[in-house]
Amino acid sequence: MSFITIENVTKTYQPNGVASRATVLRGVSAEIEEGEFVALMGPSGSGKTTLLTIIGAMSQPTEGRVVIDEVDVYDLSEERRADFRREYLGFVFQQHHLLPYLTALENVMLPLVITKLNAKEKRTKAQLALERMGLGDKFDRLPNQLSGGEQGRVAIARALVNEPPLLLADEPTGNLDSKTGDEIIGVLRALNEQGQTILMVTHNPEAAAATHRVLEIQDGILLSESAEPGCHAGQSLMEEVCAD
Amino acid sequence: MRLIDIVIGSLRRRKGRMAFIIIGLAVGVGTVVALRSLTATMEQEIGAQLDQYGANIVIVPKASSQELSYGGVTLSAATFDLRQLTDEDISRIKSIKYANRLSLIAPKLLGAVDIDGQKFLLSGAQLDQEVRMKQWWQVVGRVPDKADELLLGYEAAQKLGVIEAVKSADHDSMLHSDHTSVRQPELKLLRTELTLGGEQFRVVGVIRETGAQDDQMIFAGLPTAQRVLHKPGELSLIEVSALCQGCPIDDIVAQLSAALPEAKVSALQQAVRARLQTVERLSRFSTALSVVMLLIGFVMVFITMMNSVVERTREVGVLRALGFRKSHIVRIFMIEAALISLLGGLLGWAVGALSGVLSAPYFTETGAGAKPSLALALAALAAAVIVGVASSLYPAIKAAKLDPTEALRYY
Ligand SMILES: Nc1ncnc2c1ncn2[C@@H]1O[C@H](COP(=O)(O)OP(=O)(O)OP(=O)(O)O)[C@@H](O)[C@H]1O
Ligand SMILES: [Mg+2]
Repeated sequence: MSFITIENVTKTYQPNGVASRATVLRGVSAEIEEGEFVALMGPSGSGKTTLLTIIGAMSQPTEGRVVIDEVDVYDLSEERRADFRREYLGFVFQQHHLLPYLTALENVMLPLVITKLNAKEKRTKAQLALERMGLGDKFDRLPNQLSGGEQGRVAIARALVNEPPLLLADEPTGNLDSKTGDEIIGVLRALNEQGQTILMVTHNPEAAAATHRVLEIQDGILLSESAEPGCHAGQSLMEEVCAD
Repeated sequence: MRLIDIVIGSLRRRKGRMAFIIIGLAVGVGTVVALRSLTATMEQEIGAQLDQYGANIVIVPKASSQELSYGGVTLSAATFDLRQLTDEDISRIKSIKYANRLSLIAPKLLGAVDIDGQKFLLSGAQLDQEVRMKQWWQVVGRVPDKADELLLGYEAAQKLGVIEAVKSADHDSMLHSDHTSVRQPELKLLRTELTLGGEQFRVVGVIRETGAQDDQMIFAGLPTAQRVLHKPGELSLIEVSALCQGCPIDDIVAQLSAALPEAKVSALQQAVRARLQTVERLSRFSTALSVVMLLIGFVMVFITMMNSVVERTREVGVLRALGFRKSHIVRIFMIEAALISLLGGLLGWAVGALSGVLSAPYFTETGAGAKPSLALALAALAAAVIVGVASSLYPAIKAAKLDPTEALRYY
């Protein structure tokens, strides 16, 4: 069995007071292996975020199931599912969602708050994660004292501080200029090269080009996969579009 | 970093809102604390005054014939057919169940004496106690403490030619008043020696005019009076002061009657009851106000916490995505509520205690402010925290129940 198996996932929303149901996902199935870097692309409203949150153990699918590391995620109770997120998943959001009143270091420590580590271990782990993101000198900055790219890297450090097997990113470059966007993609690439499994939603073909393969979604249906092996341009990624 | 650090961080960031609610809580708690400590002082004060202002239970022998009366209580004359009260009855009084509620036991012997051919009523009592009970007495000179010393009522002293009121204040043999603040006519002392029942006595003090029966009386120590009146060990009446907050006067009277079956025990309760009622009404008012204040505090914290939940919807979504359980979210909001209300309670207690002390002179006669009591402080803090936590329970649960994906989409 694959590391992540998505089986026939359907999601319908019933907006408040509206009789008709909105079907967002229609029988999505996919598999992701350990160590893969996968992009999820599609037009706005096609259901990318919805699928990501379902894989991210945050939102119960109407039908179908998600199995991660042989755990049927939606068989777990709600509280156990929260624990599962803490142990298995790291989230990076488009708006980064850093807590504005906590410093960079404190934001990175957030997922450790609910672990049994002692104060010193929490601090050391968070410091390491930030240093890994090249932010060793910005521990005590508040989010509004950081650039967009730096905020993105703090968000990635926060997602990774627990060393989760799977990193989920929803348009991590969405509201960054192309240079800082490239910076974030570079960081994710480097992480993947160290073995991190990543699923990333993106609109940006350049970003998608940095991944192993692209899942395309349209109107809630997964189109045939387009693998783009060998399109890892490394340093030159920022300059030239992957074109092979 | 712990849950509480997240809370502290968010409180720091939202200082304005937090200051608003903390001050609001503090005003409520402060009002209650000030009021409570004021009523407590007043209760104590009135209790103390009542203890001093006189006996509220009088014990006399059951009597038939009437000859002498004292303080509105009728005393029997030499009624040999009846059992008289004696010194032993004092120990019987002290053995009743509520003996610890009796603040004063004042035995007295009253009897007629002849001095210089005139008849006077002699009262034998423990005079130091008597002076404390009769706060309105102004003794010129001093209170007798030896067996051959006497204290005279104003009219008795005049009749016996012991004193003469004069205006000037330059005489050597003046008795100087204890109460120098009130300018009253100086009393000129003419003689101090009196013969009573063949014994020599010295007048050491005169009570200024009271307008009451005391003016015509002569006071001596109890053993002295018993000797002079030839009634060793006998008592005419026993005054018992049993007033304290919430004293079960009726029970005390019943117990005394049982202990002294041959005596008549009566409670002089009217004045007492009236005063107590005033304080009780005040106390009830302050309780009612406290409840209203707590309700207002409850609503205030509730609204603030509901707002806080709405404001922090996205934050809840982030924390849930990071793996925080619902119970963690509830705890975060509860810790926040507890911290806020603890701060509000502390501040309120400080303000309340201070204003209780500062305003005491305007509400109490002694002007002594209530000593800040630990019990009141703890009660104030506990009330604040309980109100804060109780009113935040619903908002906290509401926050925890937010759908994490919806919460993340929230703008
Ligand atoms: N809570 C909801 N209730 C009703 N409809 C919803 C809800 N959440 C999402 N939708 C609908 O589901 C569809 C897919 O939303 P989703 O956020 O997954 O799209 P997306 O592919 O991530 O779009 P974008 O690229 O703009 O982020 C949209 O049409 C959206 O209106
Ligand atoms: Mg989206």
